[in-house]
Amino acid sequence: MTRLGRTSVWPGIALAAALLLVCLVLSLVLGPASLSLSQLWHFVTSGPVPGNLENAIFWQIRMPRVLLACLVGAELAVAGVILQDLFLNPLTDPYVTGVSSGAALGATIGIVLHWSGLPWTTMLALVGGLATLGIVWTAARRRGRIDIFVLLLAGVTISYLASAMVTVLMIQGNQDMRAIVYWLMGSFSGRGWGEVQIALVAVPFMIVPLFFTREMDIMLQGEKRALELGVEVERTKRLLLVTAGVLTAIAVSVCGIIGFVGLVVPHIVRLVVGPSHRSLLPVSLLAGAALLGIADLLSRTLIAPNEIPVGVVTTFVGAPLFVYLLRRGRRA
Amino acid sequence: MSTIRSSRRPAATTRRTLAAGTILAALALAALGAIGLTACGSSTSSSASPSASTAAGGPITVTDSAGNTVTLQQPAKRIVSLAPANTEIAYAVGAGSKMVAGTTYDDYPAAAKSLPKAGDFSNPSVEKIASFNPDLVLITGGVQAPLRAKLTKLGMNVYIIDPTTYAGVMTDIANVGKLAGTSAEAQKVVDSMKQAQADVQAKVGAAAKKSVFVEIYSKPLMTAGTGTFVSDMVGKAGGTNLGDSAGAGFPNFSSEVLLKDDPAVYIADSGSMSKPGDLSTRPGFSALTAVKDGHVYVIQDDLIARPGPRLALGLQQLAKMIHPEAYTTP
Repeated sequence: MTRLGRTSVWPGIALAAALLLVCLVLSLVLGPASLSLSQLWHFVTSGPVPGNLENAIFWQIRMPRVLLACLVGAELAVAGVILQDLFLNPLTDPYVTGVSSGAALGATIGIVLHWSGLPWTTMLALVGGLATLGIVWTAARRRGRIDIFVLLLAGVTISYLASAMVTVLMIQGNQDMRAIVYWLMGSFSGRGWGEVQIALVAVPFMIVPLFFTREMDIMLQGEKRALELGVEVERTKRLLLVTAGVLTAIAVSVCGIIGFVGLVVPHIVRLVVGPSHRSLLPVSLLAGAALLGIADLLSRTLIAPNEIPVGVVTTFVGAPLFVYLLRRGRRA
Repeated sequence: MSTIRSSRRPAATTRRTLAAGTILAALALAALGAIGLTACGSSTSSSASPSASTAAGGPITVTDSAGNTVTLQQPAKRIVSLAPANTEIAYAVGAGSKMVAGTTYDDYPAAAKSLPKAGDFSNPSVEKIASFNPDLVLITGGVQAPLRAKLTKLGMNVYIIDPTTYAGVMTDIANVGKLAGTSAEAQKVVDSMKQAQADVQAKVGAAAKKSVFVEIYSKPLMTAGTGTFVSDMVGKAGGTNLGDSAGAGFPNFSSEVLLKDDPAVYIADSGSMSKPGDLSTRPGFSALTAVKDGHVYVIQDDLIARPGPRLALGLQQLAKMIHPEAYTTP
């Protein structure tokens, strides 16, 4: 990213990184058993100590949960940026490709099967999401090209189909309905290091698009224009689609379907730093992590020991911010 | 179910996330109810008085869980039940032969499985119910509460079974017995439930209360709060229910708070966990005192969550789990 000599992207990135850092510290310190900063330092430096309750709260529950929320926020935000710009549609979110519905179907099958031993729900969700990506991809491929509009339609169609199948399974496995509904609502409750490991697999997929920011900027002017300007449109498009699909599948498989982040974070960031992907992508990544981190902090502390579904909080936090920025943006 | 679909439609996400969340939560409540946890969110008076005029041949009048007066001119002959718990109560009071329809999920006693079905738990069809021409319909509260008005409009007698305490369950059992003309058998059931409670009281009544966490569901962690008979029965079995701190009904529960409060006894219902060993694989749970000391138990959910005669068994099992020392032979 140092190959740019035009306007500097660093102030935006630095600001978002600072925001994320504040969010991380707050999230790690605040909770039912709040810590002082020196205690935080003590826990971080002492590492996990088996059998100690306070240490277990910090290392086994709070830390993985905070990291997971931030990772998922970053994944959804990056996928949102990519898909909004590929589809040239501001209402696109990471879930339009049908990947999330496929993942939901996989998770539902995992819940209904009641297999033990492995985290089957998460694994089948991942399989379902990636399989859907494959199906949608195949449907949209015509004479070696990926037709974006067919892809969008196929995604929405598969989405409906998978949702219908989830509904059938829900009615059949009535005693599992609650589990399925909670999975669909999305949550970080009860997630641990296992889920963090899966979410970490997505990190390379978040970094890859950072090397294609120039192509993404040009493709905003349409595929034809991009071709004229020497962009390898098909190759870039495929790479970005797979990236966004994998990011979404991984995010959904570890925590269920959390709305709003992938839709709104890219818009918020565009309003602040502009549409150039050199800033947009990295800042969205950091801001998505921060927003979902803060949302999960509120979700687990506001009405403790009860919890508010994190999707509700993302909407409550994100919607006013978004409206404010939209109004400010219009005046400017 | 279209709400679930719409929550993933791109154009709808922004506007409808909240609405979808609310509806999903409502669905979750419905699902809770479907396995028999019918106590949530209903405004019932658990102490419905068993006021009844049982003069032979005369009209029978009782008050149901929701405070409605139900009057039958003669004992019911055709009973429809709309909840597995209601079916179980009807059979327990000796009115099994008068049952003409149950629900898809009736599983106890075995004879109930072969009953004609009036529908599933959350979507009972008024038309289907009417087709059985019942003279008594046993419904539950929560999602089914609005059904009462529809059924009474058609001239059906409706009794709502929606107790929130062990005592409330006994009241409902006695009342159903009266309505079915089988009071003597109902009284036997009530007496055995009272006996179970007295036995438990004798064993653990004097023991110091232990803090108990009851897991209703694991992902997300969910417990039973105030106004549930899980909470009521944990109290009767010599425990203090940790879930009461999270509010009424069946709230989610923060695992951080669970570790901080560190209950002495951890009881999971069988729908949530199949074997106690599962607990040590959950993040951080191996540090819990209950796990380290081996005070983790699984209880069949019907025995603590379904308002029926088998709660007596559930109460005894809870007491043994919470105070095993009181049950070891000296």
